[in-house]
Amino acid sequence: MAVTEPFNAPIERRSVLLPARSSFRALPRSERFSLILLAGLLVIALVGPFLVVDPTIAAGQPFESPSWHHLFGTDDIGQDILARVVYGLRASWFSALGVIASGIVIGGVIGLVAGTRGGWIDAVLMRFTDTFLSLPGPVLAIAVVAALGPSLFHTTVAVAVVWWPWYARLVRGEVRALAVRPHVDAARLSGISTGRLMLRHLLPGALPPVIITASLDIQNLVLTLAGLSFLGLGSPPPSPELGAMTARGLEYLVGDPWVPLVPAIGVFILAAAANLAGDGIRDLFEQRP
Amino acid sequence: MIRLIFSRLVGALGVLLALITIVFLLRAIVPGDPAKAAVGANAGQDVVNRERHVLGLDKPLLQQYVTYVADAARLDFGQSARSGRPVRDDLADFVPATGELTIFALLLAMAGGLLLGLLGATAARGSGLLRLVLVIGAAAPSFLLSLALIYVFYYKLSWLPVGGLSSVNNAPNGPTHLLVIDGLLAGRLDVVQDALAHLVLPGLSLAFVPAVAIGRVLRSSLLDVYRTDYIRTAEAKGLHPLAILLRHALRNALSAPLTITGLQVGLLLSGVVIVETIFSWPGIGLYTDQSIQFGDLTAIAGVTLVVGTAFVLVNLLVDIAQALADPRIRPS
Repeated sequence: MAVTEPFNAPIERRSVLLPARSSFRALPRSERFSLILLAGLLVIALVGPFLVVDPTIAAGQPFESPSWHHLFGTDDIGQDILARVVYGLRASWFSALGVIASGIVIGGVIGLVAGTRGGWIDAVLMRFTDTFLSLPGPVLAIAVVAALGPSLFHTTVAVAVVWWPWYARLVRGEVRALAVRPHVDAARLSGISTGRLMLRHLLPGALPPVIITASLDIQNLVLTLAGLSFLGLGSPPPSPELGAMTARGLEYLVGDPWVPLVPAIGVFILAAAANLAGDGIRDLFEQRP
Repeated sequence: MIRLIFSRLVGALGVLLALITIVFLLRAIVPGDPAKAAVGANAGQDVVNRERHVLGLDKPLLQQYVTYVADAARLDFGQSARSGRPVRDDLADFVPATGELTIFALLLAMAGGLLLGLLGATAARGSGLLRLVLVIGAAAPSFLLSLALIYVFYYKLSWLPVGGLSSVNNAPNGPTHLLVIDGLLAGRLDVVQDALAHLVLPGLSLAFVPAVAIGRVLRSSLLDVYRTDYIRTAEAKGLHPLAILLRHALRNALSAPLTITGLQVGLLLSGVVIVETIFSWPGIGLYTDQSIQFGDLTAIAGVTLVVGTAFVLVNLLVDIAQALADPRIRPS
């Protein structure tokens, strides 16, 4: 084995993301489809606003049925529903990604510090984390937005406040498991600083499970954020948000069902694509070459 | 056993204190002066100052905190700006309807989760369809589900009523305030039937997501159990598959689904806000929605405390139930 190798053999640098690269083609068809669908939704979120009319103006008569001119019809004040759904998808998608990112950063820092330092720092940080985990997050988020005042940004902040503990637990667990591995001992003995140990030797190993969890988690976030928006905690009208559009369209369900249903279905498609794509991403990481 | 229950109780008390602290801090960081909001923008400075004194806002923050914790422990959540009544009295009016709906939805979710889990673990055929149901269930926002159910079963088919608890006028306002049980106690089967009919659609809307979550976990833990040696032994003994499932597999697979059920109660309690708003169900959810529209922070704080406490208590009970069911969890 390693005994016969020269001591200063060149170290092969391998990215932790490597297994994800080669196996896209090996995925089941449904998961490949959903990854492509998700990429499509991302493209819509990025370039869609250049392709549709202004979502906050009356582009037609109120309650026009779906037609070539207004693919999904118009709402109670004549705004084009397609345009509003495109902008709404963009808002949902980006705010969900924003919450995930801040959850990973806050939870990651706490988990990394707790896992690396151990001792009383670990105990205090994890007790703090567990307390948050024992409280009903969405209900707490409602209270936080209500206190800050309704807006999409405040909703995102409120959800991020209740979302990070999962990631803190996850990262801390991974770091604890990695810390006893020989390569970490070797790095520590070579005399590097704790910060460098955390960032270069522990963080990369803890990353794949975090990415897997996050990709499966996005759908929960899309749904939670849409629910808060439905309750009127997002930005006030006329800004286009899918949950709020559904809530305001409720009374037209009988005569003009597309007014509340189209935005609700938009949330559903985004969440379903995120869900299936999350399965796909998990499979990508778990198929070791 | 006693020691376990005691230590869990202490932990739950700590969490509740943290909950009260968070809600207190939220009230403290709110932009704007609650005293000014209470007396109106045109009131003179001396009136505002008197109100600040009445509300205790002129005291140091630490003293306000102690008062707030003590009040919350006595279920005194302050005065609602919208209704002008103590939040506690408002909640007492709205809690029973929510209790009835959540319990009904929880029972539906557990039954549905059991069914989905058993089907998922045992049926080889139709698993594609099952996966579709699971994906839809996990991804459908509760408002889409509610709208679809209302559209089909109320407008198109007129099978089930929508809106409120009941359409019976002289329903008994009995001892429990849970309409189904009160109707049974008063021997009014028409009330029971009507109340159940009103429960079906909001109950289904609320139960679908937790049912899918419970089903998923049950399925995977059942599959794990089926890989163990003692199941193979039972099969080799020639036991009936149903006996193996019910006597050997299910019992040992229930731990994880139980935990998830406890956590799902939290989702139920937040989902209930949306579902009650859509179905005009006169419970805490509708109260929360109206308080949000009005910006009534005292009421929202009260709801958060009550709902958070319910969540912590349910998970405490799940913990203890698990320790009773599984001796390995008990401390030696």
